[in-house]
Amino acid sequence: MGTQDSGARRAARPFAFFRAGKDEPQNLSKPILVLEKVFKYFQRDTPTLRGIDLTIERGEFVFITGPSGSGKSTLLQLIYRKIAPDEGRILFSGKDVSRLTEASIPYLRRNMGVVFQDFKVMPHWTVYENVSIALEILDLPPRLIRSRVGEALERVGLAGRGDDRTSTLSGGEQQRVAIARAIVGEPALLIADEPTGNLDPTLALDILTLFEEINQHGTTVVFATHDHSLLSVRTHRLLVLEDGRLTEARQGLSGWAQRKHAQTA
Amino acid sequence: MDFKGAYVRALRGVREDVRLYLVAISSLTVAFLCLGGALLGVANLTALSERWGRSDRMSIYLRDDAPEVDVSRLTMALQEHPAVAKANYNSAEVSRARFLDGNSALRDLPRSAFPATIELELKPNAHPKALTQIAESVAAQRSVVEEVDTYRSWFERIAALIGAGRTLVIVLASLVLACVMAIVANTIRLAVASRREEIEVLKMCGATNAFVRAPFVLEGTAQGLCAALLSLGVLALAFFALRAEVGGALRSFLDMQPVFLSPLVMLGLLVAGGAVGAAGSALSVRRYIRV
Repeated sequence: MGTQDSGARRAARPFAFFRAGKDEPQNLSKPILVLEKVFKYFQRDTPTLRGIDLTIERGEFVFITGPSGSGKSTLLQLIYRKIAPDEGRILFSGKDVSRLTEASIPYLRRNMGVVFQDFKVMPHWTVYENVSIALEILDLPPRLIRSRVGEALERVGLAGRGDDRTSTLSGGEQQRVAIARAIVGEPALLIADEPTGNLDPTLALDILTLFEEINQHGTTVVFATHDHSLLSVRTHRLLVLEDGRLTEARQGLSGWAQRKHAQTA
Repeated sequence: MDFKGAYVRALRGVREDVRLYLVAISSLTVAFLCLGGALLGVANLTALSERWGRSDRMSIYLRDDAPEVDVSRLTMALQEHPAVAKANYNSAEVSRARFLDGNSALRDLPRSAFPATIELELKPNAHPKALTQIAESVAAQRSVVEEVDTYRSWFERIAALIGAGRTLVIVLASLVLACVMAIVANTIRLAVASRREEIEVLKMCGATNAFVRAPFVLEGTAQGLCAALLSLGVLALAFFALRAEVGGALRSFLDMQPVFLSPLVMLGLLVAGGAVGAAGSALSVRRYIRV
């Protein structure tokens, strides 16, 4: 009976059994993200995304680039299920996110961190409050929240700034707060939608380096940008989205993936 | 559901924009004040209708040839009736003198125009049907009684007028209630709209709808309760101040003391305030929760 209940719950909320950052062992061998023939229409007969096929392995760092309006944000929104595809499948850890019920979407998102161009931090909240909210959602004990927020702030270079009001921080610092919020739950996948768009070139490079450091700890990173200065100084895998079609412009392996690859070989 | 967490987040929400919160409470207070005023009107018209719609007086017109012994026996019997407060016998001369008091134009009316009467007044707590029962039993004594007038038709007309007024006030109260709902919904929607980015962030972090909604519903409930409580306070202050000023005049004119809202209605208003605030918040959040 209990097994049946648990099975039913699993079917209704396929990501509910995930603890943030803790995937099922059998899923670890699967690619973290697979898109198969994905179409998205906002206007009839004019698809924004046309048959996207994409596989991202665990631990990869992937750049997605393309001109404004090419569908980069739409592609990312499909992954974190802000919108649903009109055709095709999107598999996250082997499970089709496009078929999720509305009640299951939060459980999917607890396994992803999302960083936006406009930071989306609460200006009236403190740095600590902005980061801890991601763990309060998981209903973790306060002591654990405190220690994990402290670690996340240290990783993004904001150690000791927890009590500062976010509105008093610079743009780069606010983006670091947003990154800390995205990684504090130890997500399997980190999605960044033009995270350096509002920052000057030096800060943009700092933020990119921060994402790379996070990637080195095993988190898969999908980084959408149209900033060519960033793309030219790094050798990560590069995907170009143009007219709704995705093409592989450059193969690459992040340091972490290279190490893992060498270990398994 | 983590109520403590929701409470902390609700407090944070209030702290974030105290001014908007106070503006919302003020708007809701004004709306509830209108509703409370309308309910107060209904309560007083109901009391007036109950007071005036019930006749507690009776005039028993006696036959000219009624034996004095029978008249005395009837008067005594009425005085001893448990529902009767007063039963006074007025001879034909007394009735004539009272009627003509200062009215010389009617002095030529014949003596027979003023029969002897027994003026009867019921106790305030008498059963509403007591007057009818007494009138029927008195009217049966045809050897003594010519006619019994309970003034019922007059009271019924007054009661009908008051009833119409009460219906009008109830309709107005319903309209006010609809306005209150609209004001509450718009005020809370404004407050929620100002925090839509917070909702979006929570949803992106994996918050369930219940988690997002909880602090807003708590805030809405608190706003509604505060507004209902404030409006009751203002209404009570105004009512008792006004009653001190014009209560005496109203009592002598309408023979009743103005009444305030009953505890049950006050409790209902408070509960309605909280419920409307909670429902308004929940509905307003629903618009932004689909992220």
